[in-house]
Formats: sequence, structure tokens, C-alpha cells
Amino acid sequence: MSKHYNIAVLGAGPGGYVAALKAAQLGASVALVEKEHLGGTCLNYGCIPSKAILASAELMHHVQHAAEMGIDVPSGTAVNWTKIQSRKDKVVQTLRTGIKGLLGARKVAVHSGRASIAGPGKVVVTKPAGAPEEFTADKLILAVGSVPSHIPGWPTDVNVVCTSDEALHWKTLPKRLLIVGGGVIGCEFACMMQALGVEVTVVEMLPQILPNLDGQVAQALTKIFTARSIKIFTGVKIENLTLAGSGAIAKLGNGETLDVERVLVATGRRPNTAEIGLDTIGLATDRGFVRVNDRMETPAKGVYCIGDANGRCLLAHAASAHGITAVENALGHGNEFNAPIPNAVYTFPEVGSVGLTAEEARAKGMPISVGTFPLSHLGKALAVNANEGFVKVVRHRETDQLLGVHMIGHNVTECIAAAGALLHQKASVQEIAETVFAHPTISESIKEAAEDALSMGLHLPPRKILRVAAGVQ
Amino acid sequence: MPTLTLSQAGKTASSATILRWRKKIGDSVNKAEVLLVIETDEGRAEIESPLEGTLTEVLVPTGQTIAVGSPLAVIGSAIAAQTPSSATQPKANPVTHPTNPAGKVTPILMPKAGQSMEEGVIVKWHVQPGAVVQKGAVIFEIETDKATMEVEAVDSGRLARIVVGDGGNSSVLQPVAYLADHDSDVDVFLAAQGGGAASATTISSETPPTGAQKEATVVLAPAETTSTGRVKASPAARKLAREQGVDLAKVAQGSGPGGRILSTDVPAIGEVKTASAPATPVIQGDLPAGVVRKRMSGMRKAIARNLTLSKTTIPHWYITSRINAGALMGFYKSQKAKFGCSVNDVIVMACARAIMEFPAMHSRVDGETVLEFPGANIGVAVGLEEGLVVPVVMNAERLTLEQLTAETKRLANQARAGKIENMGQGIFTISNLGMYGVDEFIAIVNPPEAAILAVSTVREDVIVKDGAIRAGQTMNLTLSSDHRLIDGTLGAQFMAKLKALLENPIQLIA
Repeated sequence: MSKHYNIAVLGAGPGGYVAALKAAQLGASVALVEKEHLGGTCLNYGCIPSKAILASAELMHHVQHAAEMGIDVPSGTAVNWTKIQSRKDKVVQTLRTGIKGLLGARKVAVHSGRASIAGPGKVVVTKPAGAPEEFTADKLILAVGSVPSHIPGWPTDVNVVCTSDEALHWKTLPKRLLIVGGGVIGCEFACMMQALGVEVTVVEMLPQILPNLDGQVAQALTKIFTARSIKIFTGVKIENLTLAGSGAIAKLGNGETLDVERVLVATGRRPNTAEIGLDTIGLATDRGFVRVNDRMETPAKGVYCIGDANGRCLLAHAASAHGITAVENALGHGNEFNAPIPNAVYTFPEVGSVGLTAEEARAKGMPISVGTFPLSHLGKALAVNANEGFVKVVRHRETDQLLGVHMIGHNVTECIAAAGALLHQKASVQEIAETVFAHPTISESIKEAAEDALSMGLHLPPRKILRVAAGVQ
Repeated sequence: MPTLTLSQAGKTASSATILRWRKKIGDSVNKAEVLLVIETDEGRAEIESPLEGTLTEVLVPTGQTIAVGSPLAVIGSAIAAQTPSSATQPKANPVTHPTNPAGKVTPILMPKAGQSMEEGVIVKWHVQPGAVVQKGAVIFEIETDKATMEVEAVDSGRLARIVVGDGGNSSVLQPVAYLADHDSDVDVFLAAQGGGAASATTISSETPPTGAQKEATVVLAPAETTSTGRVKASPAARKLAREQGVDLAKVAQGSGPGGRILSTDVPAIGEVKTASAPATPVIQGDLPAGVVRKRMSGMRKAIARNLTLSKTTIPHWYITSRINAGALMGFYKSQKAKFGCSVNDVIVMACARAIMEFPAMHSRVDGETVLEFPGANIGVAVGLEEGLVVPVVMNAERLTLEQLTAETKRLANQARAGKIENMGQGIFTISNLGMYGVDEFIAIVNPPEAAILAVSTVREDVIVKDGAIRAGQTMNLTLSSDHRLIDGTLGAQFMAKLKALLENPIQLIA
């Protein structure tokens, strides 16, 4: 007889392994299936390895600017890419071991192999060697994640045209790199590669880089990147890409031709939902995504879908939060997911964002007002030689409710949590202005921007008050 | 008369929110003088009048958002503005402060003890007119809808006149007596106020009295305050409520996380959504001779309000079990010989044990959440002459029968002395009318609790067991539950557990 569990989780990324731990914590028997490594994309091909490499890149950036801070670095500083890679691998390995330990401590049954559904409540695990395993479960949680998209019709030689999956494990650095797509992944790689000495060009089809984020934030990052000699083309398509010699030649829509050594395709990710047997439980997909409600329930009874695969928000922390919600619902605790999800971009300077942008709020017809504060006026930012960037607070003009916070600057990914908490608590901007922030910190710029939104700021000259005559009827 | 409209302030702004009007209706306005301040997505802007004249109509209130081109205000002709009578503003405060030429008079006010208190009844004056009151001394006792409490003076002086006597009723912060050296000073003081005590100046609870009044007001500190639960509200909501004079405790439910009251939940002046009981219709027409109309006591009003709330908002359902009380009575007698317990104490103990086996039984509904309590806090109804009060035994499941007996006695004595302990902490109440020989009754859930057990008398009865009939003793227990929390199967399981404990009470010692 095959084994039976209360909950089976397919995929051990930040959604799946957190869901498994939560289910075990609540007392359920849990099976977790992973085809490759624990930690999924986040730990093995995404968040963590990229941050490890970015940390080395940022250190190099600081070394190059050390003289500004009164530190003379002897000439001959060089990037040791092999060492950067091995340090990154060690970080990843340590965290993988950590997850394994956590799952073991909560007695989650981890099955290695490729999972597929074989009818309601039935899972088959195909292993690289040996006979397939089979088990049943009361509830299924699909946490199968996503993979980087490829561009149809482009050359497939992964030594030249690759995605973030390969780029994070490159054996050598290219001399000239074309990054296709100026989203979060594209921008992080552009920043990283430039600091490590690579000549970088970013081509984005949409009118701005970081297309889903605040327009002014994107403009500021564009300006900073351009000053570092990263070439950025926005609103431009790549007409054609061909392999040439050991590299590639790209023809752009604006008539330019680029001759590069490697190409990184960072145009998005597609859900990993093919070949997992969704048809056996009658579950349809929408452009590959398994659509769910706020309880993470799919149309199939007892089947939940979390993380990238449901297409709501392709971020690790969203997947973990989805996982908790799915488990709580699967085990009979009613819970709907509606918390704001912050965005973080780990370029230097960093970008942090939560809630509505001014553009989004206006499109919804909300009466808003906006407060900003430039970090060039902030003590801490100047003290640490990081005066680039600003904070922007969007508020509802009538109710004073906080609608969104958008930041670009040193360490702002750490500051955005505070804004997220305030937004989740439905704080008013007046309340933020009344809150005492430690000085000097980068996060106090949130308070300054809140004060500016209320025309109450003290660390900026008074806001100009327009004066116009009323119309007469 | 010309109507002024909102013009575009800034490059893109298509709408604006009114921040404040700089001019009031009736104010004269010069050309290019600022009428109001607005806020758009681009920032603030001042709107100036394109004409000279008088502001005769304000068409958009503060806080409202309107589109560019919408009407803002109406301006009358400049000549009208020069009419002296309409252009001058009346003084802000028509109430003149009393002058006390004959000596200082200090009103003593009915205190506002607790957020929901609106009025209080003076139970008893502890001092008589003519007596000198010392600061800190208890001067009278009041009864509110929650409790009875003593009121201390925080100023010394001679009690010249009592205007609300024993049994009298007064709204909070209204004078109930006056301190003065001479009785005639009070007459002068009241005359200066333009009337008797009934029309004395009211002082808002949150605004400190100003000017002459400040010196003349005794702030009374209740010797004991009731345990009002903290209202969860954002600082902005508290500020707005203060400004609008809204009692946050009466805002039914906040829309923030966990029911937190946000500024947007605070109703505007005059539209306070009270959670209090609907008014009982007053009988119209002639009453037969000999009918005496009496004021409802604070306690009766509180009972009326709570139980109306319960019966109208809690979906009640009921379940009755008859238990074989033979073993219970034997156990009770054996324990009574040791430490004088009552049958009710044994039932409280059995309930505490049974309650702890079912999480929903030690929970209550709070908005859209459920509060699970860590212990069985059981209310024990105590009948007093004035009405019913329910002190609460905290964590009854941790007490031995002897400790429980001592605790219920202590609580009942305190209740008779006017002190209700642990009010609002309970999750379950036991109402026992067994001593009156009732066969069966149904109780109303005591909100915010989720269940109440009605205990009837132990009577001689026929017991049928294994097909044989014999004489024995039985008792009926009826559980009333809040169906939002307690379903039929759960109620039945709880009653089965309770029955098992009471029919084998020796388990209670283990």
C-alpha cells in the first residue's frame, strides 16, 4: 500500500519548503517533493547567489571609490571571479544544509525526484534511478515555480546566449555583455557586471527600465547607470540576433548594431506547470499559470497553488506568504491573503517599493498627494558617501491614508520593511510624520517624505504654494 | 451673483481637495485676496478671489475633492459687504464667565468615570450642606450602568448647596453641588449664569475648562474606576474623535487589522453609531390610577442593554440534559462536611474541567475574530436586591474544590458589598435557580461570553436503569450557546462530558 500524507507539497523553493514546515508545525504529516535542490530558484538560481556575487561587486565599487573616503588602495586590485563563485557556492551550500536540517527537525518526508499528479490526491515521484515512488495525500500544494523565458528563434548556444540560471554559474566573465530586458534581474546583472569590469549594454522594449516601478525611481537609476558607462536603450527592440565568432551580433530597432561576447536574456519567467499532470485533476492553466483565489485555492478541490506558478507575484517572499496561507486553509483555518508585498532591487544604490505608485493611484482615480525627500539632504547618506537617491511617499489626500512608498538609495531594501508594516496597518501619513525615527539613519527619509507630503517638512525649504485666481461663472 | 469655480492649479492637476477656507460666509473679500487653500497631486495652492464682494455661499466643504471647473463659492456685490451689521462678526463665545463679587463659588460636577458613562445616579451624599469638605475625602457615592463607586473631592471648601440629592440623576460633568463660603454666593453665581443649576454651563469632557471656569471647577477623581477595555484605535483616529467629540468606544467596528479603529472609521459629528440598546417604546395614553413611575436604576439599565444586545445579536441555541444527581448529592454532602461547599461549587468545578477539553468552549467572538482564553473564567451569577451581577472566578480549572468554594464565597460577598470582580473577563456563566425549586429554565448568554448554563433544582424522580425502575434524584441542565462559535455537535459533546463528570464526581478530586 502506498504511503498517505495529510499534505503533499510539490517543489521545495521558498514557497514549498516554508509551506511544508508550516504544515508540519500545525501537526500535519507532510511530503515534500523536489526534483533538484532544496531552496528552489531563490536559493540556487536567484536571490541568494545573485546577492552573494553582488556583494563582491559592490565591494569592488567601494574600492574604486575608496580614495573619496580617504582610503588609498594600492594599485593592482583585481577581480578574482573564481573566488567570487566559490564563495557564492559556499553560501548556497550552507543555506541548503540549513533547510535540510529544518525539514528533518519537523519530520517532513522529503522525496527527491520529479513529481507528477496522477489523479486526485495521488502523486508519482520519478527518480533518476530506480522505480518511481507513489503516495497519496488529502491536500496538494503546487509550488512548482518558474524558469527563465527564452526568446523563440534565437540561437540556443548557452555559451553565448544564456539566462540568469547559467549566468550565476559562469566560469569566466565576458568582456562585453548584452542584457536583454531591463527589469529587476536585468538591472541587478547590469550593476554587478559593470562593477566587475564588464562592458554592459541593456536593451529594454518598454519605455523605462524597472517597468513596474515608480517612473522617477527608474529615471534616477538610469542616470546613475549611465554615469557608470552602462549603455541603456529603452523603447527599443532587438530585431535580430546572430552568432558571430565566439560572440553574437545584435541588430537593434533604432538602427544600432552591437557586437558582444555574451547575451543575457532577462525578459521574464514562465511557470513550470507543464508535465506535472494537471490534466489528471482537470486543472486548466492561463498562459501556464494556475489561477487561484485569495485562499490560494485552485478550481480543483483540495489543490492549492502558491508562488511563481500562480502568477500573482513572482517573488520569493510572496511565495512563502502564499505557502502559509495555503497551508492554513488546507488545514481548516480560514485565511485570506491580502498583505502588501514589498519589492526590492539589489542594485547599488538599492530600490525598495511597496504599495501603489503615484501613477497607479491616479489611474484608479484616487485623489493623492506626493511627498519626496532627496537623500542628498540626509545626514546619514552624506556621512556614508551615498547621497544618490530619494524617497517618495504617496498618500490619499482626503483620508490621509498611506498608499505607497518608493525608495532608491543606500540600503533602502532594509528600510522598505518599515513602510510595508505601516501600509499593512493602514497607517495615516500623519501617523508616520508623528513617529520618531532614529537619527541619523536612511530610514528617517521616510518620515521626511511623509512630512513633505503634508507640507510639514522642516529639512527642506518650504514647498512652493501656487496662487491662482478662481474662475468666474 | 457670480459663482466662483475651481481653476487649474499646476500643470496637470485635474482635481483638488479643499484644505481650508480662509474666509467665512459673510466675510468681505477684496480682489486678489485668498479665499481658500487647496491640495492637488502637485502640492498646495491658494485660490484668490477675482472679484471684490461678500462671500455669501460656500459650496464645497473642507476635505472634499472636486474637479477643475466645479463651482466653489458665491460672491455677493461689494456694496452688500459694506452693510455694517452683516459684516461684523459676533463674539465667538456668547457665554460670559460668571463674576463672583461676593466670593468664590466652585461647582462640583458629576464625574465621567469611564468612556461610556453618560449619566450617574447619586446613591448617597456623605456630607451635608454646611459641612466643610477636605480634599481627598469621599463626598458622595454614585451608581453608573457599570458599577457603584465613591467620589473624592480634590479641592477643599464649604459645601454650600446640593442640587442633585440622594437618588437624583445627573448627566456627566453637570454640577451636582456648589462649594462656597456663603449660601448667598451661590445665588449670585447662578444668577450670573442666567439660570438655575439645570442650565449651568456644560464643560466638555475632553476640553479643559478655560479662564474663570478653570479656577471654579473641582475635578473629581472617582475612588474606583471600572475596568473598561482598551479601545484599539490609531493615534489619528483618537485625535479626530477628540476633535469631533466622538466616543471611540461607540464606534462599532474599526476597519483596520484586528478591528483597529482608523481615522476613516470615526463618524462625523451627529452621526455616531451607538452600539447601545434601542430605546424601549414609552407607553402612550392614560395609565390606571395608582401606577407609580420609577426611574430605572443604572444596574437595571445595564442589564437591559446587555441582554437586549445579547438576544438581538447572538444567534442563541439551546440544549438540555437531565442528569442522575444521586452521586452528585452524595459527593456534595461528603465535601460540605469538610469545607462547606455548595452544589453550585461542584457544578462550577465540573464545568471548568469540561470547558478546558473544548477550545471553542473557552473562547468568545470578537468581531470577525475568535478569542481563545487560556483558562476557564467562569461567571457565577449572584442575585442582589437591585438586580443580577456576575463576578468571575478566574482560571477555575486550576482550583481545588476547597479553593473554589472559598473564592466563590469571597466573590459573592464582594458583590453584595457593591464590588464586582473580574468583570468582562469571563467566557462562561452559570446561573443556578435550583434553590427556588425550578424544574427547568433557559438563560440568555451574557455577552461577550459565548455560553451560559442554567442549573435547575435537584428533585426526586424515577430513574430507569437496565429496564428496572427505582426512585432517585435528577437535575436538568440547559446550555444556551452562541451558534457563531459553538455548533450542535460541540454543545452535545460538552454536555456529555459535563454529565459524565457530575454523575461520577469523584473524578473531580483526582
